Amino acid sequence: MTERGRDLRMYLPVYAIVLAVYIFAGWQSASFFTWNNNVNLFGRVTPLILAGLAQTVVILTGGIDLSVGSMISVASVTAASLPYVDTPANLVLWVLVPPLVGLAMGAINGLLIAAWPFPPFIVTLASSSIYLGVALYILREPGGEVSLDATLVSSGKIYGIPIPLLLMLAAVAAAYLLLSRTRFGRSIYALGGNETLAIQSGIRPGRVKFFVYSLSGLFSGLAGAYLSAWMFAGDPLGGEPYVMNSIAVAVIGGSSLMGGRGGVPGVIGGAYIFYLINNILNLLGINPFYQYIAKGVILIAALAVSAPDLLRRLGLERRREQ
Amino acid sequence: MMGLWRKIPEGWRSLLGLWAAILALFAIGGMFSPGFFSVSQGGAIFRSASFIGMVAMGQTLAILIGGIDLSVGPLVSLGSVFGCLMLAGKDENNLWAISVILLIGLTAGILNGIGVSLLGISPMVMTLATGAIITGAVLIYSQGAPTGNASPALRAVGVGFTWSIPNSVLIWLALGTTLSLVLKYTTFGRGVYYIGANETAAGFSGLRVNFIKTAVYALSGLTAALTGIIIAGYTSVAFVAAGRDYPMQSIAAAVIGGVAMTGGRGGYGGAAAGAVLLCLIESLLTNMNMQEPGRKIMNGLVIVMLMTFYYRKRLGSGSKKKAAG
Repeated sequence: MTERGRDLRMYLPVYAIVLAVYIFAGWQSASFFTWNNNVNLFGRVTPLILAGLAQTVVILTGGIDLSVGSMISVASVTAASLPYVDTPANLVLWVLVPPLVGLAMGAINGLLIAAWPFPPFIVTLASSSIYLGVALYILREPGGEVSLDATLVSSGKIYGIPIPLLLMLAAVAAAYLLLSRTRFGRSIYALGGNETLAIQSGIRPGRVKFFVYSLSGLFSGLAGAYLSAWMFAGDPLGGEPYVMNSIAVAVIGGSSLMGGRGGVPGVIGGAYIFYLINNILNLLGINPFYQYIAKGVILIAALAVSAPDLLRRLGLERRREQ
Repeated sequence: MMGLWRKIPEGWRSLLGLWAAILALFAIGGMFSPGFFSVSQGGAIFRSASFIGMVAMGQTLAILIGGIDLSVGPLVSLGSVFGCLMLAGKDENNLWAISVILLIGLTAGILNGIGVSLLGISPMVMTLATGAIITGAVLIYSQGAPTGNASPALRAVGVGFTWSIPNSVLIWLALGTTLSLVLKYTTFGRGVYYIGANETAAGFSGLRVNFIKTAVYALSGLTAALTGIIIAGYTSVAFVAAGRDYPMQSIAAAVIGGVAMTGGRGGYGGAAAGAVLLCLIESLLTNMNMQEPGRKIMNGLVIVMLMTFYYRKRLGSGSKKKAAG
């Protein structure tokens, strides 16, 4: 299969589902296609997309980051307890400090994973517990205060375009360019595809892993900062759902947990599915508890369809002539 | 003395080390506060360890075949919520309520197994998805606010004692010993290790890989649901969030006990000791008036410390090979 064909096959299921759900929603409820509803959706989906990007870059190397949630929490409580004074410099403080805190936490993960032979799963399991402790130490309960300038980020507009939409597109574009247009990006894929081969071809795995986990921390920090602006407060447990959701988003978006396969374009679709389901159930007035079942079923369906050798596994594929 | 220590097989050495650590921590706890070194305190610690330990039975199996089971958390919640609702505090409901819940756990596990083996979905995502479906079922069935109570017989299992040992600990001991023996002496057990070590080779050598994998996830679902029921007996009322911490805690117990994340290495004895160690540390820190933030941080540090112990050989050699654990 050509590279383009493979890409298409990877991202097709997720966007087919998104499109189907979107059209179904518009058909069921007239208010779905309104601009306001969609602006609302951009605002909700942005932190999940950022978390999904954080997870995707790590998953591409064949690793996993279970500390994404705790890093988001730390960034969010940090953003809510910064010493804001009444100047526009507040915005700079809010934009810089939480993401840098996230970057630092990610760098610690990266150092441990690069320097020690421990599996990423365990290192990030341990560090997620440690970072959660730090978040709880900074703020025991949801609270604190975020500068009013920063809260405009989640609700404001530039030339009529909602800022969350811009932020989301900028983050996705940056991650896409990094992965597909740079040497570093190619070395991530190489490492995830076959570590031994990557080492033999001159890639230093430790360095790539360090940068990848740092990047994951940076994206998580951005997500945490954004969440604090969206909620007007910090929440030490607010990041928790993002651990599993980010993995689900990355995987629905076509990235393989084995590494080396997947990428950024699917992340938007993966994150959208999550919130579209919520949104539809709300608009239709269905018990929101059904969203869990819908999410689970869609996750299984999307993965079963995109599994590379599904037909062979089920014994349905006809013998192909070489 | 060192010669004798070296003669002990590696697996037994880490197990002895873990239990020595547990005893030492008990002694330290006793020194700090006199009440700590008592039968009632020990019983409480072992009771909470029995819950984690029973969930860790399925988790250990799943990790041993190179998989993972994240649906154990929702299944524990299901056992607790469905248990209280269906029992409604009456003993005559015992039989059907418990069998229905165990059947649900078994079915969920078989679904996981089919998704992982037949459909080829990665275990983490497959069990995450079934977990979401189970969470939905729990919330819908209980309308988000579970009611009902455990029956008197289940209460006796959850809070009662036999020879001053909590009943749940005895159940755990029986089930855990069975699992250890099964892993060691049956074809199924050896199959689990072969699949974890090299799935392709296991398939070529005639093992029914898909069947064993499905059986592993089925057992995991069953033990998680059972744990949920026993927790319902302990708390008497149900919580939707009863199982929230169990996926990560059962994984942590297995990992602390020396079960390798890539599968094929480790045993249930270690995971059981890991469960006791987790609960002991938690209780020790609570006793020393450490607040939740500090306890979380210590929890993470303990995992890192024990990892340096398990990987000490590779740390020493300084090789930069891909981690095999």
